[in-house]
Amino acid sequence: MTAITEAAGGSSRPRSAGEGRGKRRTGAESVRSGPLLLAAWIAYALLPWYWLDFQAPAGMAGYPLGPAGSGLALALSGKAWWLAPILIPLIVATVAWRTADPLRRNGLLVFAGALGLWAVLKQGFVVGLKGWNFAWVAALMGGPGPSQAGFGLGAGLLLLCFLLLMCQGLAGRGWCRGDAFIVSAVGIVVALILLFVFFPVSTILASAFQDNAGHLDFALFVAKITDQSIWGLDCVTGRLRCGVAWNTLFLGVLVGVATTALGLAFALIATRTDFRLKGALRILSILPIITPPFVIGLALILLFGRSGAVTAWLSEWFGIPRSRWIYGLPGIFLAQALAFTPIAYMVLVGVVQGIAPSLEEASQTLRASRWTTFRTVTLPLLRPGLANAFLLGFVESLADFGNPLVLGGNFEVLSTKIFFAVVGSATDQGRAAVLSLVLLAFTLLAFWAQQMWIGKKVYVTVGGKGDAGLPLPLPKRVAVACYATALPWALFTASVYVLILVGGFVRSLGRDYTITLDHYLSGFRIEQGAGGLVFSGGAWDSFFATLEVAAMAAPLTAVIGLLTGYLLTRQRFAGLRAFEFSTMLSFAIPGTVIGVSYILAFNVPPFELTGTALILVICFVFRNMPVGVRSAVATLSQIDKSLDEASLTLGARSWTTLRLVVLPLLRPAILATLVYSFVRAMTAVSAVIFLVSAKYNMATTYIVGRVEAGEFGIAIAYASVLIVVMLVAILGFDRLVGKRKLGRREAPPVTVAAGG
Amino acid sequence: MFLTRRALGVAFSAGFSIVLAGPVAAQGQLTVYCSVQEEWCRPMMAAFEKETGIKVSMTRKSSGETYAQVKAESANPRGDVWWGGTGDPHMQAAEEGLTEEYKSPKLTELNDWAVRQWEGSKGRTVGIYSGALGFAYNTKLIAEKKLPEPKCWADLLDPKLKDEVQVADPNSSGTSYTMLATMVQIMGEQKAFEYLKALHKNINQYTKSGAAPAKATSLGETTVGIAFLHDHVMMIVDGAPMKAVAPCEGTGYEIGSMSIIKGAKNMDNAKKFYDWALTPAAQALAAPAKSFQVPSNKATPIPPQAPKLADIKLINFDFAKYGSSDERKRLLAKWDAEVKNLPK
Amino acid sequence: MSKAPASVTFRNVSKRYGLVTAVDDVSFTIEPGTLVTLLGPSGCGKTTTLRLIAGLEMASEGEILIGGADVTRLSAADRDVSMVFQSYALFPHMSVIENVAYGPTVQGLPKARAREMAAEKIAVVGLAGLENRSPSELSGGQQQRVAVARALVLEPQVLLFDEPLSNLDAKLRRRVREDIRALQQDLNLTVAYVTHDQEEALAVSDRIIVMSNARIAQTGTPRELYEQPADLFVADFIGDANILDGVLEEERGDRGLVRLGSIQLELARRGAKKGPVKLAVRPDALAITTVANGRASVEGVIEHSSYLGRSLEYRVSSPLGELFVVDNGRAAVHAPGSKIQVGFSESGIVVLPN
Repeated sequence: MTAITEAAGGSSRPRSAGEGRGKRRTGAESVRSGPLLLAAWIAYALLPWYWLDFQAPAGMAGYPLGPAGSGLALALSGKAWWLAPILIPLIVATVAWRTADPLRRNGLLVFAGALGLWAVLKQGFVVGLKGWNFAWVAALMGGPGPSQAGFGLGAGLLLLCFLLLMCQGLAGRGWCRGDAFIVSAVGIVVALILLFVFFPVSTILASAFQDNAGHLDFALFVAKITDQSIWGLDCVTGRLRCGVAWNTLFLGVLVGVATTALGLAFALIATRTDFRLKGALRILSILPIITPPFVIGLALILLFGRSGAVTAWLSEWFGIPRSRWIYGLPGIFLAQALAFTPIAYMVLVGVVQGIAPSLEEASQTLRASRWTTFRTVTLPLLRPGLANAFLLGFVESLADFGNPLVLGGNFEVLSTKIFFAVVGSATDQGRAAVLSLVLLAFTLLAFWAQQMWIGKKVYVTVGGKGDAGLPLPLPKRVAVACYATALPWALFTASVYVLILVGGFVRSLGRDYTITLDHYLSGFRIEQGAGGLVFSGGAWDSFFATLEVAAMAAPLTAVIGLLTGYLLTRQRFAGLRAFEFSTMLSFAIPGTVIGVSYILAFNVPPFELTGTALILVICFVFRNMPVGVRSAVATLSQIDKSLDEASLTLGARSWTTLRLVVLPLLRPAILATLVYSFVRAMTAVSAVIFLVSAKYNMATTYIVGRVEAGEFGIAIAYASVLIVVMLVAILGFDRLVGKRKLGRREAPPVTVAAGG
Repeated sequence: MFLTRRALGVAFSAGFSIVLAGPVAAQGQLTVYCSVQEEWCRPMMAAFEKETGIKVSMTRKSSGETYAQVKAESANPRGDVWWGGTGDPHMQAAEEGLTEEYKSPKLTELNDWAVRQWEGSKGRTVGIYSGALGFAYNTKLIAEKKLPEPKCWADLLDPKLKDEVQVADPNSSGTSYTMLATMVQIMGEQKAFEYLKALHKNINQYTKSGAAPAKATSLGETTVGIAFLHDHVMMIVDGAPMKAVAPCEGTGYEIGSMSIIKGAKNMDNAKKFYDWALTPAAQALAAPAKSFQVPSNKATPIPPQAPKLADIKLINFDFAKYGSSDERKRLLAKWDAEVKNLPK
Repeated sequence: MSKAPASVTFRNVSKRYGLVTAVDDVSFTIEPGTLVTLLGPSGCGKTTTLRLIAGLEMASEGEILIGGADVTRLSAADRDVSMVFQSYALFPHMSVIENVAYGPTVQGLPKARAREMAAEKIAVVGLAGLENRSPSELSGGQQQRVAVARALVLEPQVLLFDEPLSNLDAKLRRRVREDIRALQQDLNLTVAYVTHDQEEALAVSDRIIVMSNARIAQTGTPRELYEQPADLFVADFIGDANILDGVLEEERGDRGLVRLGSIQLELARRGAKKGPVKLAVRPDALAITTVANGRASVEGVIEHSSYLGRSLEYRVSSPLGELFVVDNGRAAVHAPGSKIQVGFSESGIVVLPN
């Protein structure tokens, strides 16, 4: 993509010094559609049009016809005559390329691109796997109609080319300040979101308005969505339970506040103090995020359950009666707070670092005490970070499914309700869709509230002037508060992890503490076979598949997420807010619903992706993209826009600016996104449970299977292995991305007196 | 910088190669959705591969998940055979025409209950094992609290067991739905709901998963857990201090089933697997995998640890009636309204 | 330094954001090799105009030409224009030399050559030796010079300054603005310069474009603007002026007889017709004396005086209204409350055209 736009946009050849200047200025040539056009023709005339099975031996037989035939050949031979109309936009685009008048040429390009997209998609959706996809076409054309497979290399590339041609045309007509890269980026991101978020999600949400036979039934929808089990307020008035919506909302707010507060405490300790065990603290704060689901819940039960270690100790020494308090709201809350604090920490640490020390110094010179400064300058400047951290914590809590499943007790939340509406003993997809709509509404509300709270204030603190100030040491009471919250929490986290680590090496955690290696051996046995090492353990397959998928998803998520964040903060275009919200959509919808919607949308042509690793990668990318977007938005809102503009006026195109100026300043956000998306790809459950195939089974579905079977030992052993792998990966990312150089001095040490 | 870029390049090209590997080809292959536990799935598939040379791609998912997946994929089915898992979702799939009718030559070798399952579904699903419902108690806790050992469903209403009984939520678990249907069949609907309301006072938690109460009992999180007996036996074999009980009033059971998915891409191989899975040799693979259900082929040896169906007073479970989605929805809605939300 | 500078031409350019019009039907030409200031109060559209030249904003209507070529739809990166930002916009993650070498580097020049060019320009702005510092280690003035060096390194056809002096102290301002002017003349650059400070504008410009409410109020040389303001706004904004009501009593060719209270003056008429007119009276056109000075003076009382070293400033109440007077003679300091005479000389008084 970048290569294409650069080639298209830039004829800025290096010039010899004698010529004196590098910038070119023959305006009319700013967009070159030649290479794109060539690619489009190749895609249509040469590349295999349909999805190919690369393992099938007969793959290329009969080329240019046959299963690997090109669009043009199939169209002209009459085998797929409905591909022929695609020639028209291609010819129009070619005419445009030969047109000298820029206005006319760009107009033609836009027309050709739009027509091309329409022509390719239209035929794809009309002619399906089993003939005509629409009854009215069948009635018009008669018969069951021809059939075709899903889009392949040729069709995919051609779609991309048409999209880019259209974007070039629009840029040529002055869209987005005439920047072809930006228009293309917007075009691609919008197209991807439409395809991989809107298309599947609307497929399933439509079922909210249908009865089980698939007919529209609005009354049923109203009945379902106003159900007492969702909105009941009986817990306020009586002893009955409240509706699941209130439970979810209450839990979400609680978790959002707690994770934000804890994350802030960790972030302040990590950036503004000389706490000696910072490294350990950082690892501890990261550990929960790299822990597969169920495991934290499991560990909490083993610690605080009725026969848990802590409970037993309390009961023996202090006579505190054993109880089941951990099941229900307290347990879910604890587990989610443990699991999501790291996200808040990762968002906030970049923001705390980004605050210009001179602002705090300014406040101090106005005779404000450290505390007043912290309260009136530092905290308000942290607003975007705090708001983003809260939003993520809230939304994560809403979407979390593993912890309520294990610890929920009789406290029901929407995510588990939705899961069991899909897979439970009374399956009702419509009900799942209705509940998803409620969940979605909550997310929308949180997003809106966050926007209101941040308001239109400016939070630029990384300006173009450098900043010679020293970061303000924490006011004592804040430091004390930070230590008082973060340290016990860290201790708590540590004990949970010691337990998890030990759990893999004992026969049965909670019952039989005989030391054994059985769990590891059954999952990860490696034997010396005839042809070298044989990975004979049962977990290896899913382990390797998970690593592959996660390694592919992480960089893609980072690229798309950060690019989107950049577009959102740095560009102005119509529908910006709607665009921003749509990026949050896939995050807000429960994984189970996403999983089912992906099958419904991508199991049939034209976009036939089920059973491949690609669908897992795509699912992860679009599910985790919001984190990239949010952290890019938070970080970019601190960086002075004139830095980008300076780069532009120095002749760097948007892409170069992005690479040389924006990305280096975005390093904390890049790291956060890479780590998060990698980790999420390795630990996600609910979304992928329907997307895994025999070939691409994921670690977590394997673990869930073990937990279901009551084999906690192997589950914990596998989880420990994943944790170690992810730790290594995170350190690797850290090295790869490097530190952001802001040319600032380090904070002086702050010491907290022993008594304080 | 050079090094990292190169490393990235390698990673990407490796990734690209697996991205391009499309859906599995349809020759000499079979895709099985397996809904029992992993340990049992794997040796089953390995044995079938060894015997026939057909390459099996197996995905393990719970029966509810598999049902949802089969339904979602019905426009372009990906799986061939759905093996294992409790009978209800199989029946539901049969009812919705998601699975294929098939009469196996092995049908005559099967126990009656397995054949009844086949008949009830008009040939679309067949029983492969069965397991009786029951409860288990933690012997240590019972001794500590000096409670009498419960032997019957009625014993579970003992006020001394307040907050000491655990069972799954029938909305999410087929196990628990089996219990609901069992009670209705043993006591009649009205009495059954009175029993469940009384039991509600002793329930500490309605879990999501059907087997969870067995695990909780083994850990001492609850004194009594209601689940399938073979789930309890698995814990006991693992050394848990518990005792499984087949209630004196009689009890219901599940029929683990197998179906061929309609529109299967490898129909012939699917039928081969179906026939093979009903043989004693194939069914004998359950016990080594710590699965102690009762196999459906009369000739299969019953594992010694398995709860003997002969010792259990089994009711004549009406799978056709209680497996239909209308009856299920009605009972579940009633349970939701009358039992679940009761104050304690 | 061999290339010829380019002109900048606006033809009926407008820029709208939704309902707000930031630049409204503006036309002007900046001749090659001149320094032209865009002057006006904040919000008048001067910065938007500058950003339109740079390509950081796209015109809603009209045409923009640089060196005769239409660049209206060209992105910033494709225009041969560099800009010095108000905040300097130095890349905080790069050293001084990396900042300055950025332009040539992204143009694809070899790194060594880019650094060579950068070093040359750093020397031009007098920062040799500081190449490897980070921007945060420099003083405000030094940072400003880095920003200028960075903008110069590509030897652009047009160089833009957006309030470049606003972050500097008063003394430094004078020096830097002289440096900018010298640089512009030495390198023969076309420069567009945005400021809200009229003194700065008068000091550096070849021509000044005064903007008000998204439109051009007047264009001209500093002297034209000061001596012949087109309207009340310009008269008031460029140099201080006492705006007084007078009556044109008699037209005498292109001059006229104007009555100002008790005083009668013969002034250039500037198209004004017989009847009431507004007069702009420069503070230094007034002289304070203790005795009446014939027909061209009025009585007044000193309200307030400020001693500024080089000059004295008075606020005087008079029958004509309150007068602001600058006395460069410093003959004597009149205490507040003293009765004095204010003398009018015809040279610093302008009739404002209607």
